Amino acid sequence: MSSSDGHAANAHLAHHFDTIERQDYAVRLGMWLFLATEVLLFAGLFLGYTVYRHFYHEAFHEASRHLDLWAGATNTVVLITSSLSVALAYWAIKQDKQKLCAGLLVFTIACALVFLAIKAIEYHHKFEEGALPGAWYHYSEVTAPGANLYYTIYFLSTGLHAIHVIVGMSILIWVLARVLKGHFSSTYFVPVELGGLYWHLVDLVWIFLFPLLYLI
Amino acid sequence: MAEITENRGPNAVHADAHAHGPGRYFVVWILLLIFTGTTVITGRMDLGDFNIVLALVIASVKAALVVLFFMHMTEAAGTNRLIFVVSVIFTIVMMTGVFGDLLTRNPMTLPTGNPPVQIQAE
Repeated sequence: MSSSDGHAANAHLAHHFDTIERQDYAVRLGMWLFLATEVLLFAGLFLGYTVYRHFYHEAFHEASRHLDLWAGATNTVVLITSSLSVALAYWAIKQDKQKLCAGLLVFTIACALVFLAIKAIEYHHKFEEGALPGAWYHYSEVTAPGANLYYTIYFLSTGLHAIHVIVGMSILIWVLARVLKGHFSSTYFVPVELGGLYWHLVDLVWIFLFPLLYLI
Repeated sequence: MAEITENRGPNAVHADAHAHGPGRYFVVWILLLIFTGTTVITGRMDLGDFNIVLALVIASVKAALVVLFFMHMTEAAGTNRLIFVVSVIFTIVMMTGVFGDLLTRNPMTLPTGNPPVQIQAE
């Protein structure tokens, strides 16, 4: 039961943890703490949105009608599907199905790229129309007071979300590389689990951004 | 089996993590797609103030599905559940506090800056 025996038996056990159970517990706790800070980060942006929507209700309503609903809806389906595939990848690695896990991760990463491509097309349209944040706003179709704020919040919140998509995708690429090297199995899969958790958070944020920005 | 047990957390609740197959993920995925379709269809209907309520209720149900099943909150350790729930409670406290302020202010102090005469005219 001495700690040195445990470390000899498991290469993944860091020297400052006595057992792998304690390490896994700490790692998961740290991840959920981080996810809580992410929830609060986006909560600040949602608060800004609801406050200005309250004051400029008509302008926000009108401006939201100038977003591409089908681009937003397609991206919602893409992210929900990628959440499914990353959940399945987690299930696969626990069954020692490394190839299936790698395939599902590739699919998830492809979904992330599709999401970013659709987002880039949307941004490009907004840039051409002049529906830009802050002082750069010169969109002639929505001139009501507050429309400028709508597009500022639109770019800030979807931009921050897009950064999270890029970070999440990068983490999944790193996880995929390690899966391909055979680092994970039914006995050690915590990095797959945590990478998946981060990806689900990206999905979670979009689940709220989509109706708030595109629908109401 | 001893190897699998090794990877489980110290909490008994986590032991169920390996019990179910991938079927439940597909069920959750289909539910999420149905809710997405519902929110797109109802979102562009003119339901007045009910629009935002319905959109937020659907989004919250979708979020709950993702957190509970995709993120395995149902199997997570109690501490981790507590942390996530607290972050949601803090968000609600922040929203309530800010709107408690905004909705009870003198209209003249609001960013929209309506002068009192205009308020009376409404």
